[in-house]
Amino acid sequence: MDTSNPAVLVNGDLLGSYVGRRVRTVIQVVQPSAGGLTGRSTDEKQVVVKGQMPSPVTTFVEVIGVADSAQAITAEIVTNFGDTTFDANNFNQLCQHANGAFRHLFI
Amino acid sequence: MMFSESQFDGGSQIANSPATAAANRDTFGLVPLTIKQISEASQSGDDKSNFSVSGADVVNVTVVGMVSNIVERNTDVTFTLDDGTGKLDCKRWLNEPFDRLQMEDIREGIYVHVDGHLKSFKGEKHVAVFSARPVTNFDEITFHFVACIHNHARTTKVQKAQVDAENINSTPKTPIQNGTNGFVSTISSQTSVPFTLDGVKGVDEMVLAYLQHPANYGIEKGIHTDEVAQKLKLPSKKIMESLRTLENDGLIYSTIDEFHYKACEASN
Repeated sequence: MDTSNPAVLVNGDLLGSYVGRRVRTVIQVVQPSAGGLTGRSTDEKQVVVKGQMPSPVTTFVEVIGVADSAQAITAEIVTNFGDTTFDANNFNQLCQHANGAFRHLFI
Repeated sequence: MMFSESQFDGGSQIANSPATAAANRDTFGLVPLTIKQISEASQSGDDKSNFSVSGADVVNVTVVGMVSNIVERNTDVTFTLDDGTGKLDCKRWLNEPFDRLQMEDIREGIYVHVDGHLKSFKGEKHVAVFSARPVTNFDEITFHFVACIHNHARTTKVQKAQVDAENINSTPKTPIQNGTNGFVSTISSQTSVPFTLDGVKGVDEMVLAYLQHPANYGIEKGIHTDEVAQKLKLPSKKIMESLRTLENDGLIYSTIDEFHYKACEASN
């Protein structure tokens, strides 16, 4: 059992509150680039991800890594989350709950 | 008077049994938990083999996370599950052919649902897995965390209800006799207990109070629905709905025809 290094569930808005900390989020890929990608968070904010990407990359990806700023993440793990069926709104609301009244269940 | 008091007791007893039943059901079902919640589970019971999360007994858990450190042996497979809130050691005993078959689909780096029995060994918690299946639709991950939140909210609400119900039992009964609305508002204002008279409110209260008024209660053939609507200055439709609800709750009954109603008890 090890809860020493959790990754906080964030959306674009919350990313800025956890700069320097380990975070996880789901992003819609807008533009892949060399050594990373540019994407849109579930609350429509732009996020830039640096790190190794799966190949090929799907429309939605989960990024687990360290927040560099309110708009950038250095990724440790990037997982393909599929092209069509991810419910971004649900995920967005989950982020709000996981950082709100139910924070103690997560971090 | 007697009816009110027994209803009062009955109300809290009704609240207790489904609430207790719900809490007991948790012991045997699969409880969705985050690994952080599991790490905070306290051990309960004399033999220290049961766990308690947020005050509710937990035996079997379901967790969703990413697999790593898979070690395959002849008799078992162990791996670590990481759901972002923590890392959990999992062990799958390979007793049946099904166990081996299911574990073939489990690879490093994929997300899986793990269902298993929560156990403790030398102070460390781990899960004895009886089912491990890959996540196929990633909404399942979001859903699992929502389910954890929902389960936590529901469990703590049930416990609060039980505490409230116990508090009612120790409250003196004098508030009941205060006027026509006495016992109804006492219950609904004091508690968040489900399954009591919370449904009797607003229009229903007014209709019931009118029918329970001693002058009206004294009329053998009951009161016509039109009179109730006229006196309370409410639309007939609303009155009819209330009358149906109150009848279903056993507080009033129809007399000479479906338009005449009488209360079961007077208010004073």
